Amino acid sequence: MWNNFKNGFIKENPVFGLYLGLCSSLAISTSVNNAIGMGACVTIVLILSNCIVSLIRKITPSEIRIPVYIVVIASLVTVVEMVVHAFMSELYTSLGVFLSLIVVNCIILGRAEAFASKNGVVASAVDGLGMGLGYTFALLLISVVRELVSTAGITIVNPFNSTQVLFSFTIGALEPFKISLFSSSVGAFLTFACFAAFFAWLKNKPNKKEAK
Amino acid sequence: MKKALLLVLFLGVVSAISGLCVGYVNSITEPIIAEKLIAAEKENLEKMFPGAQFAALEMTDEKGYVQGVYEVVDEGYAVKLQTTGYNSSTPIIVLVGFDNSGVITGVLALQQQETDGFGTKVFKEENISSLYVGKSLDEMPDLLSGATVTSTAMQNAISSAQNMLKEVVK
Repeated sequence: MWNNFKNGFIKENPVFGLYLGLCSSLAISTSVNNAIGMGACVTIVLILSNCIVSLIRKITPSEIRIPVYIVVIASLVTVVEMVVHAFMSELYTSLGVFLSLIVVNCIILGRAEAFASKNGVVASAVDGLGMGLGYTFALLLISVVRELVSTAGITIVNPFNSTQVLFSFTIGALEPFKISLFSSSVGAFLTFACFAAFFAWLKNKPNKKEAK
Repeated sequence: MKKALLLVLFLGVVSAISGLCVGYVNSITEPIIAEKLIAAEKENLEKMFPGAQFAALEMTDEKGYVQGVYEVVDEGYAVKLQTTGYNSSTPIIVLVGFDNSGVITGVLALQQQETDGFGTKVFKEENISSLYVGKSLDEMPDLLSGATVTSTAMQNAISSAQNMLKEVVK
């Protein structure tokens, strides 16, 4: 079970390892704030959808399993979206359409089909948590680089009250070297490519045990 | 045949349960969202109706100009309109105030980047009061020469809002 959890981070990291969910991760990784919000929403949906899919896996007729999964995922996303809209309206505005697009995020349907439909509830929940945190971790990596390079600082605000800044710093020395390109999609691709290359190297470097 | 029925039934049951859950959460979050929407607009509404109480109404017009309708308790209605004038990249967004009988009491431009000196004339105070203020629901807003495109856009949007308000104003 620990392996299920750990897999989500490096070897099967949904973004850098499996290249799933790229659309949303490139689009909303402009600030650390968005990354955390999006990561949390995806993780919640992923855990719940994995649990439900795993619960009903024995009674779901295999011919219509995909439509059933989509109904389950879509309802969960709608619920999360409504809650975010009601209690975190700033986050709702900045995530915009990508919040509702979690429905078509391939990570969620992928995990439902590949893992939750074949495993028990607890294992599926752990897998969902691992994958969700892996996705959040990937978003954080990209967004830290992008926000730092494009604004020379990082600001995290309280999602329930946008005027309350939880954490903020700027690096004065970087101020003259800000590259605003990094807040646009080009920056997203550049950052993503570098990280993806690094993770590919990490995954494929010769393992000492295997070499023997 | 029996198998197909079973599949339909299963998907139907799953959808029904999901629908119930979504509906339940919606019933909790909807009033909060509605309140937030008013809070966002309140600053602008206050400029037009100082010190009044507002309630959001769920109304739309046929042509899609109306962005939001607010009932001003005991005073009338405020309608937020979005229309495109000469500047196709930045739409005009205005707030139009109506009294209880549907007579226009004021127009407040929230966003407009019309051509300076031509289209912008429409939003000058003296023109707002001559073109729009005092018009009842059956009177069409006037056009302004020299700013035809902008004032036509405004005319279309406002008359659409007037048509919509005829349902609530008796």
